[in-house]
Amino acid sequence: MHETGLAADAYRIARDAADARGGGAIESVTLVVGELSAVEPELLGFAWEAVVSGTPDARARLVVEWRRATQRCAACGEIAERAPGSWLRLCPICGDALAVTGGDELDVRSVAFEGGDA
Amino acid sequence: MTEIDVRQKVLATNAAAAESLRSGFRLTGTLVVNLISSPGSGKTTFLEATARALRDRLRLGALDGDIATERDADRLRRQGIPARQILTGGACHLDARQIEKALAEENGRLSTLDLLLIENVGNLICPTSYDLGEDFKVALLSVTEGDDKPFKYPAIFARAAVTVVTKADLLEHVEFDLGAVRDQVAALNPSGAFLVTSSRTGAGMDAWYALLENALAEKRGAPALASR
Repeated sequence: MHETGLAADAYRIARDAADARGGGAIESVTLVVGELSAVEPELLGFAWEAVVSGTPDARARLVVEWRRATQRCAACGEIAERAPGSWLRLCPICGDALAVTGGDELDVRSVAFEGGDA
Repeated sequence: MTEIDVRQKVLATNAAAAESLRSGFRLTGTLVVNLISSPGSGKTTFLEATARALRDRLRLGALDGDIATERDADRLRRQGIPARQILTGGACHLDARQIEKALAEENGRLSTLDLLLIENVGNLICPTSYDLGEDFKVALLSVTEGDDKPFKYPAIFARAAVTVVTKADLLEHVEFDLGAVRDQVAALNPSGAFLVTSSRTGAGMDAWYALLENALAEKRGAPALASR
């Protein structure tokens, strides 16, 4: 359940960013989570509740933007989403091996908070 | 209400610590491998065999991540190599700061080696996310676990530079389609190495030792043994 540590890190990043702008209580934090990041969004949601409870940001919502894995064929330039439930890494056009080009994300994208000097 | 763009990696703190470790290991020329597998795949037995085979040729050391007990580090110390247990106290993975702390507490005994073996907590998911400053990850999969694991846990098999099938001496007793596993790993990770081993009989282990020695030579800018 490494989601607890990740939620704590995400919260600290968001709180620091809000503090740097003179902000008050956090309303929401948007996190980009890729399919290949080995993170379970539902567990991350539970972990988030636990992390923010008891802080001044106890009502902060976690918004997860899910990113599907994407692949690209170096030979013919084809860009394709991975077929659901399939990990075959061969280009449907030319049969060459596909490289993963997206889906590794685990980023704090934005923070919404009360007040602030912006 | 204010909304600001942050665009910061959640794992940035770990990544910074990992990069600092990596620079240190570059200076000392230490090859670092991060072994990841489910519990009971035979990581410690595999490392015991590695220690016995290489301890006279290389300066070896090990860090063992576990929820509790010194058992794994004790087993490796009995093979004549320095080993330190990192007790995570419930956490399901090692992170770079734990490695930094453990190395500092060993006063350099584990950071000026030829080869540092990091045995991660037994778990196919969580350790995948954490860079420990290693040169590469190794995924171990025992033949008793089932031949569908690479597609069920794709992240680790896609990221490991080496997949090692362990306990191959049991192949005749279990339903484990080695070809299917090889195909799954090749589909996830076309450039990765795939080794089939038995720590008990020693089968396939020479390829693992050669891989480590070649990677070490490459890291130090020497011509790889394989090209001699």
